[in-house]
Amino acid sequence: MEKSHDRAFAAGWPLRRCALAMGLAVSLTTSVAHAQSVDLSKWSTEYIRSIAGTEEVDTAAECSKVVPLDYKGRVSVWWTGPNDASPDISRQVHEQFWAAFKAAYRNIALDYQNIDYNQLIDKLRTATLGNAAPMVVRLQILGSVEFASKGYFMPLKPEDVGYSSADFWPGAMKSVRYQGVSYGIPTNNETMGLIWNADIFNRAGLDPEHPPATWNDVVAYSKQIHDKLGVAGYGLVAKQNAGNTPFRFMPELWAFGGGALDEASDKPTYKKVEIGNDGSKAALQSIYDMYVRDKSAPVSALTNTQDENQNPFIAGRLGMMIAHPAEYAKMVDLASKATGADKAVADQVVRNMRYGLIPKGPVRRAVVFGGSNIHIIKTDYVDGGLDEKAAKALICFWTGPEWSTKLAWVDSNPSNLRGFKTKWMKERLASIKFLDVTTSMLPDGIPFPVIPESTEIMNIIVPDMMQNVLTQKMSVSEAADDAAKKVQGLLDGQ
Amino acid sequence: MSLAIDRKATAPATALQRRRGHILQQIVEHRADYLYILPAMLVMLIVIAYPIYYTIELSFFKTPPNLQMKDKIFVGFANYATILSSASFRETTLNTLIWTLFSTGFAFVLGLAAALALHREFAGRGLLRAILLIPYVVSAVAASYVWKWLYHSDFGVIGALAVQFGITDKPINFLDNTTSVLPSLIVVNVWKEFSFAMVMLTAGLQTVPEQLLRAARVDGASTWQRFWHVTFPHLKGVSMVTVLLLMVANLNAFIIPWIMTGGGPAGASTIWITDIYTIAFGRQRYGVASAYAVILFIVTMVLGYFYVKALTRGSEGRAE
Repeated sequence: MEKSHDRAFAAGWPLRRCALAMGLAVSLTTSVAHAQSVDLSKWSTEYIRSIAGTEEVDTAAECSKVVPLDYKGRVSVWWTGPNDASPDISRQVHEQFWAAFKAAYRNIALDYQNIDYNQLIDKLRTATLGNAAPMVVRLQILGSVEFASKGYFMPLKPEDVGYSSADFWPGAMKSVRYQGVSYGIPTNNETMGLIWNADIFNRAGLDPEHPPATWNDVVAYSKQIHDKLGVAGYGLVAKQNAGNTPFRFMPELWAFGGGALDEASDKPTYKKVEIGNDGSKAALQSIYDMYVRDKSAPVSALTNTQDENQNPFIAGRLGMMIAHPAEYAKMVDLASKATGADKAVADQVVRNMRYGLIPKGPVRRAVVFGGSNIHIIKTDYVDGGLDEKAAKALICFWTGPEWSTKLAWVDSNPSNLRGFKTKWMKERLASIKFLDVTTSMLPDGIPFPVIPESTEIMNIIVPDMMQNVLTQKMSVSEAADDAAKKVQGLLDGQ
Repeated sequence: MSLAIDRKATAPATALQRRRGHILQQIVEHRADYLYILPAMLVMLIVIAYPIYYTIELSFFKTPPNLQMKDKIFVGFANYATILSSASFRETTLNTLIWTLFSTGFAFVLGLAAALALHREFAGRGLLRAILLIPYVVSAVAASYVWKWLYHSDFGVIGALAVQFGITDKPINFLDNTTSVLPSLIVVNVWKEFSFAMVMLTAGLQTVPEQLLRAARVDGASTWQRFWHVTFPHLKGVSMVTVLLLMVANLNAFIIPWIMTGGGPAGASTIWITDIYTIAFGRQRYGVASAYAVILFIVTMVLGYFYVKALTRGSEGRAE
């Protein structure tokens, strides 16, 4: 049953996810108060397709109600935008966004800096210490609570820029709240999927249209691919960095019943340490099996980020990896730049690219509820002081249905649920392969713990634990216990 | 007896007073010189002295991730105790010693060999010198990325060549292995900085008197004897300075280990300076990181003391 379900996705067919939709509806009706533009209780790929293109949006007109279009001021903003590894279309969309904002607010001087994903948090920490921060920052979801807890952010909710909180996913809104106060607005919501090369599956004797249904299947498939073809089966990522590693390992950890804290439970308290439990150890054992026992993951996994998986994948040297739908656009880009024999291989890989749900574990199917949030920094910490109106004009533009859809073009989903009703969503659904997968993973999304220590847990303790196992510096049990001790120490304020 | 003691006590005191008077007199005489360097001194006070003071101050405070710096908590020497008693400190210190000593040693020896080889006149010497200088002038960041790809454990050029020439049956695991990662990084570091040693020692070789070498040759000294008994003693001063500068640079070398491995895998290439960065910016323990930085500062200052001694030894001799 599960496999045919995944196959339907792989082929890009519509999918009925009644059970998940029902579960989602129950959770949402309890947490979303009222006035939603989109009926989340009906959430399914058919529903998303049925509402796409039903609402016309005039962003400038909507934002003019918050900040008049003739307002004269200035705004500075830092964000992580497209980089060398991004598909061209991402760069084009971002350029269009800045042009549209400048055209609408001609009298607002704009100073924007695109800062690398792995450097943005560090740079903001330093800048806030020196009162040299920008007025607005768009941060990865993991970073919000740290700065909110330190008092750097101004309280900010969708209503402050003319939207309704009910039009944003409850999970995303949770990530911007600290001690009951909202300090930002989600800009996009990410959930990843499993990408595989059907040709590699075929040659390895696996069903090319069947992704692994469980994480144990991932281990077995990875071994079979490596043993039969001599290429890496699963693109494991275990470098210490700002996101790539926990975004790919935590879904596995949660699927086995583990967790950093109790973030995967229905009512997380963020006080119970679960990284040393049996589920976490089972997840660690499975990556150990792939990397050490079977040697079916890239040897370079310990120094790799997801970017380093792209070239082996397009070269037909990697069977599976966890990634965004943007990976498809990236592969098309890479294939278009390849020449000679490489071009033939790359084209074949693109043709054989498949995208399915992230595998289940013994306890659940899970994915990181990721994305980014946008914040206004208090005037005391801003270089030159804050222009609040200009900042709100920009945020209104950014988080509205139009640009939260367009800026998420190949990467993720609009944070503003009204975005799903726009003609741009319809265009995305028609033009972006595998988009259904990522929208369908949203109900399985689990946010990282909403505590200030979350960045250290996810970006340092979790990768360290993995490296301790993969280098055999520690046994699985020792590494998990060591991590649990460190997390407990953090909670105890050490 | 007591008189003897008094005399012994007063003699140094008098000498001290005489020296103080001498220094003051020198300052007055060279007041214009001091005025010339005043702007530079002021800039140094702002960009060097204040950060050092602030780091020392911060090392006595706790900075939890949910507090702003202004709300930091005074903890006395607890941060120093945390560093010195941490389980990873011994491993990191050992890595730092290996990294510093081997990088310095190999860079010096290679630099000396290159300087000696290029000291003789031959066709293309200038070109060769320029080529050997390239690693030193290449950006460390760019070099680190290039070496990372050369070393790549799955698709690296070095590994591929090793397989192609039948040296190994699979690509060599340079960076994703706790045993090989540090030596691999040291190779990159030595490649990057040996030309600095070469330049310094080439300059030193110009000071070796040619007549002495000729006299030694006439006396029948072998090549090795000429080097050991004539050339090397003349290079002692510049060698000392080169080694100390390399040691200080290597103790503070951040770019290569950080970009190539981030201190991994499993801490196998973590050295003091990368650890300090992780503690400060990854874990936001600015107080603990500051205490760590103070320890590094003290070690560097000790080396700096010997550097200044080596540098001023000649001039003191001349002054006397």
